[in-house]
Amino acid sequence: MNGLSLTKRLADAVFETAYLSLITLFIAFSVIPVIVAVVLSFDARGFIGPFPPTQFSLRWYESFMADSYYHDGLVTGLIVATVATLVSTVAGTFAAIGLSRADFRGRGALQAALLSPLVVPNVVLGFGMLIFASRLGIIDGMTRLIMGHILITFPYVMRTTAASLVGIKASYYEAALSLGAKPWKALAQVTLPLARTGILAGAVFGFVTSFDDVGVSLFLTDAFTFTLPVAILAQMRANLDLTIAALSVIFIVATVLLIVLLDRLAGLDAVVGRGVYGR
Amino acid sequence: MRRPGLTAALLWPALIIMAPLLLGPLLALGHESLKPFVGGRIGGNDAEALTFDNYAAIAAPEYVRYFLDTFRVGLISSAFALVLGFPMAHFIVRRAAPATRRLLIGGLVGTLFLSLIVRVYAIAMTFGPHGPLSGFSRLFGIASSSPDGAELMVVLGLMNTTLPLVALTLLGTLQNINPRLEEAAMSLGAPRWKTFFQVTVAMSLPGILSAGIIAYAFCISNLVVPMLVGRGFILFVSNLIYFRFSEVANFPSGAALSIVMMVVSVALFYGLLHLVRSQWQEAGK
Repeated sequence: MNGLSLTKRLADAVFETAYLSLITLFIAFSVIPVIVAVVLSFDARGFIGPFPPTQFSLRWYESFMADSYYHDGLVTGLIVATVATLVSTVAGTFAAIGLSRADFRGRGALQAALLSPLVVPNVVLGFGMLIFASRLGIIDGMTRLIMGHILITFPYVMRTTAASLVGIKASYYEAALSLGAKPWKALAQVTLPLARTGILAGAVFGFVTSFDDVGVSLFLTDAFTFTLPVAILAQMRANLDLTIAALSVIFIVATVLLIVLLDRLAGLDAVVGRGVYGR
Repeated sequence: MRRPGLTAALLWPALIIMAPLLLGPLLALGHESLKPFVGGRIGGNDAEALTFDNYAAIAAPEYVRYFLDTFRVGLISSAFALVLGFPMAHFIVRRAAPATRRLLIGGLVGTLFLSLIVRVYAIAMTFGPHGPLSGFSRLFGIASSSPDGAELMVVLGLMNTTLPLVALTLLGTLQNINPRLEEAAMSLGAPRWKTFFQVTVAMSLPGILSAGIIAYAFCISNLVVPMLVGRGFILFVSNLIYFRFSEVANFPSGAALSIVMMVVSVALFYGLLHLVRSQWQEAGK
């Protein structure tokens, strides 16, 4: 008995070590590159040398500020992401609510079709949109980008809203109707407020997806209209200097702010979901 | 109390906006892929008869290689993501104190939100020739300058996306498994590892496979990671399609590749998900 429990304790200890090592590895792998990028962004050297740098400066931040190329990309990217997310959020929220009430044949197929851009590679979507737009005679970069970005943001909004609707009892809506509310009013004052966390989360996901997209945007930009990731990619292939490290730090700060904002507005737990046995 | 009129009114905006955006590119790609290619001009030749030549060309070994690389590297990367992601999700759901839980979930969502280019750049700087972890590939007996070294970098780059995705997906799975079952197994004398594998992992298997399939779909459609760290040794089908557009302007061939890649991705994704679901429904779950 004693020998058995010793073996068991040893096995438990080995398991515990492996378990915690994997978690440590996960965190190290996620955090170390971020730290490296932050440190390198303050590197004073004019070339990419051995890590860590010995002298520090703000030269890469100055070089980023002075570069109108990035600035243009940022503005275009924000416009495209905002317009695409607005359109997708309105249409996607309505569609999610509509599909949750629908009982016609082909409902599943319609839902799968509307979600399909999630599964099709972005490069395929972008290339297809480029050929489609050129057949329609649309050569304006902004129009093409917005068309492509509605396509990729819509499924995120619809899927997240649909998931949040599952938890909302249809009986609330029915109760509002039986109390005399018009269907549109019951929808606007009962269902929509209850689904707002899902809608907000979907819109944020959609915005981030659009802002960060490369696969679709690479095909749809023109010489004067390009998004920030496309600008970064072009610069990275031209010369790999540390301006991009400075830019990375700005991205990291913006992401942290976004997460804090999302946590304050909706609560990260609500966004991720607590499940049946969640604590 | 159902009102078909209202349901239809809710669906119309999405249909009006999405139908042309979904079908237009699809039809345009299908048509373009059947045109014969003439060098020196952008787009296929409209004057000649339609042909399947562009599809036949994809069956050549030099093209098939790109498909095989895509599916193989995607598989490796998704598998590693599951191995690392499951314990992390388990830790968050079962062990982490509320403050730690919130921090970890924030970190995961943040990693997912952080620009992919920024993350791949950070990976390249960390594991690259001057990076602090440049010796990492030697742990596996791989020279970082070799093709295998490039493949390792692509796997690492993809894992940066798949890890938070897998961990967040598995949070949902684990939160729906009753913790009492694990407690019961342990109070009956089962060692921790046995409880973990035979109760927790076994009960999460449908969720683990679904998370793996989602991660896989993300991997095989990637463009940026092979482009930035594959160094030409590892290129995915997405890169090939982009080259058809940017380097040689062979639109018909790029369109044929796009159609094939789209069919394969959609079939793989829905086929595998269907397989997982039907398997577990049959078992009486």
